[in-house]
Amino acid sequence: MREYYGCRTCKSADKQLEEYIRALPMETSHHRVDSQDTKCGFGLQGVCCRLCSNGPCRITPEAPKGICGADADTIVTRNFLRAVAAGSGCYIHVVENTAKNVRDIARSKGEIKGVDALNRLAEMLDITEEDMYLRAEKVAQAVLDDLHRPEYETMKLLRKMSYGPRYETWKRLGILPGGAKAEVFKGVVKTSTNLNSDPMDMLKDCLKLGISTGIYGLVLTNLLNDIVLGEPKLRVAPVGLRVIDPSYINIMITGHQHSMFTYLQKRLIEPDIVEKAKKAGAKGFKLVGCTCVGQDLQLRGAHYEEIFAGHAGNNYTSEAVLATGAIDAVISEFNCTLPGIEPICDKLQIKQICVDSVAKKANAELKEFDFENRERVTEEIIDSIVETYMKRRGGRLNLLMDHGNDDTLTGVSEGSLKEFLGGDWKALIRLIISGKIKGVAGIVGCSNLTAGGHDVLTVELTKELISRDILVLSAGCSSGGLENCGLMTKEAAKYAGPGLREVCEQLGIPPVLNFGPCLAIGRLELVAIELAEALGIDLPQLPLVLSAAQWLEEQAIADGCYGLALGLPLHLGLPPFVTGSPKAAKTLTQDMKHLTGGHVIINDDAKESAEILEKIIQEKRSGLQI
Amino acid sequence: MRRIIIDYKKCDGCINCTIACMQAHREDEGTIYDLDLTDPANESRNKSVRAEDGTYRPLFCRHCKEPECVMTCMSGALRKDAENGLVTYDETRCAACFMCVMHCPYGTIKPANSLQKIIKCDFCAADGYEPNCVKACPKKAIHVEEVEA
Repeated sequence: MREYYGCRTCKSADKQLEEYIRALPMETSHHRVDSQDTKCGFGLQGVCCRLCSNGPCRITPEAPKGICGADADTIVTRNFLRAVAAGSGCYIHVVENTAKNVRDIARSKGEIKGVDALNRLAEMLDITEEDMYLRAEKVAQAVLDDLHRPEYETMKLLRKMSYGPRYETWKRLGILPGGAKAEVFKGVVKTSTNLNSDPMDMLKDCLKLGISTGIYGLVLTNLLNDIVLGEPKLRVAPVGLRVIDPSYINIMITGHQHSMFTYLQKRLIEPDIVEKAKKAGAKGFKLVGCTCVGQDLQLRGAHYEEIFAGHAGNNYTSEAVLATGAIDAVISEFNCTLPGIEPICDKLQIKQICVDSVAKKANAELKEFDFENRERVTEEIIDSIVETYMKRRGGRLNLLMDHGNDDTLTGVSEGSLKEFLGGDWKALIRLIISGKIKGVAGIVGCSNLTAGGHDVLTVELTKELISRDILVLSAGCSSGGLENCGLMTKEAAKYAGPGLREVCEQLGIPPVLNFGPCLAIGRLELVAIELAEALGIDLPQLPLVLSAAQWLEEQAIADGCYGLALGLPLHLGLPPFVTGSPKAAKTLTQDMKHLTGGHVIINDDAKESAEILEKIIQEKRSGLQI
Repeated sequence: MRRIIIDYKKCDGCINCTIACMQAHREDEGTIYDLDLTDPANESRNKSVRAEDGTYRPLFCRHCKEPECVMTCMSGALRKDAENGLVTYDETRCAACFMCVMHCPYGTIKPANSLQKIIKCDFCAADGYEPNCVKACPKKAIHVEEVEA
């Protein structure tokens, strides 16, 4: 007899996963959606303030101001800017560590897997240095220098990394960010007790943080990772829980800082280490992808065929991955490492290791990543995992070997896609002009459990868009859901409208292209810039829309601010706790069009949202007279 | 008859019941996200009062067995429904004399901010008599129970 924890789990677009989770003998986030069903109305609107001991104050018709006198506009924008600053801080932490790792690898003359990527980035940044290692070091240092600049100094690489017309708009609006870390600091200060109360001033800061997050946290993190991890290459790969092979010692990785794993990845396939696994009774080691770091490894999978098992799923698939019983350790270095995996790890005796204290889980061992001592620390980590494997295996497994699919197209990037299309964007532009592809939608960001359920709105909206001949590019945990639901296989062309379907069938590609982790939203932006450049227009003129249909966290809000700064229409399934402020709501959904060109659309219905986005694309097409 | 039963010890004073009531009775269409929390026309039929010891007393209309509000209502706007036991309010018959407000022993009837009518619990008749305040309580401090009429 099977032991069920409880059958009131939330829906998932992935029906097989939904059934699997419902039948699990342990509690997951999918179970807790029901018990957290009652939401605080004040919280949803963003009108609860607990910045001082007089609070929490909430806005009602009888109490339209907090005790200090702050009204709904001030309270909402203060909360919003705090969230944007925190989200930006997360991405800036990631790019800082990535740049440090590139610098340290270059200094130690370690492996540079992406020489072309290094050369391209060095050229973009005007860094000329004969020696390759010195070139890499200087590139990394230039990024670090910018991140560490004070808030009153504009970052130096900004102009080089931005699209000309955008840079001019940002300059005119006075939103060119200073040092990225200092901007986060200022955002925190500005929103503290009895400081800034000006909603417009705070929203301006959100845009500034959006720009530093986007260009540094997203774009540069990718380009730096390309240097040490290798550039994405198109290939077909298996996805879903099927990638877990119990005959190996399996390590699930979670986070966003892939460059921390370079040494471990290399070591895990070296003969002496494989021998350790064999002695313990396994065939060797495998890394099982989960969350964005898994997406990133999948994207670069062509360089890691031996060690990487494949991408199992997104943030809210991690509990299911562990529940298979075939995972022996979790190595986490960032979010999304759900606190809820801890009791599951305890129950199944799975070793938890954190390599960055920002993501330290309560019952994990902290093995802080340290470039100097990476060899010793890596050996310790491997030994403890082998020990765990020997202790824990032998129990009943709960695999789901037919979950997911074997033929998801991965490895899509600004470079690999262009190469596939013949070295430039002319073919894609021709298809857009002819109307076979009406436009492009970036379905980005996270997965949450509340916009219809796990990946429900993301998948439904994507299907609606492709049926309208809109090509979908995806980056983030949204990709994890879309790929497990089969929308990134060639066969998915059948869901596309006649124009897009013809294109997909001719080229043998799916109608949804997988750019990988949320960091790769930066890659989508590079594609957008190159398209705009080829057409000689600014970004807001492109028939391009963004949707973070199932955004989850503060980082997504910072990403969203980048989208707005780029002047793009941004759809969200759920409002980012701002609707309690008439000023914030109006600025974000309407007035922003006159500032940056972008605006927010909030709608939780897939069909309605698709109609709105299609209409915007049509308007942009008319604007370009196509 | 069915009544809202209060376990005040469970109440945290979050007043989610209040906002849920406002949402349930708003005149325009919309979701909880766009309910105007600064519009005096959005009124709640319940309230939560903080006691001296710091605990809360969430207050809801009791649809009393012998309702003083009905007894004092001269226009016949307030009636005790013989079938379901609820005290109903017919706005069109109300003279806005507020005698009911003066007589309610629990202070749960109030004059509307417009002073043209009263604000009183209708047990969410429009939602099939499933009170939205009860649905919105995260602590389950209130529940609906069948009691003797």
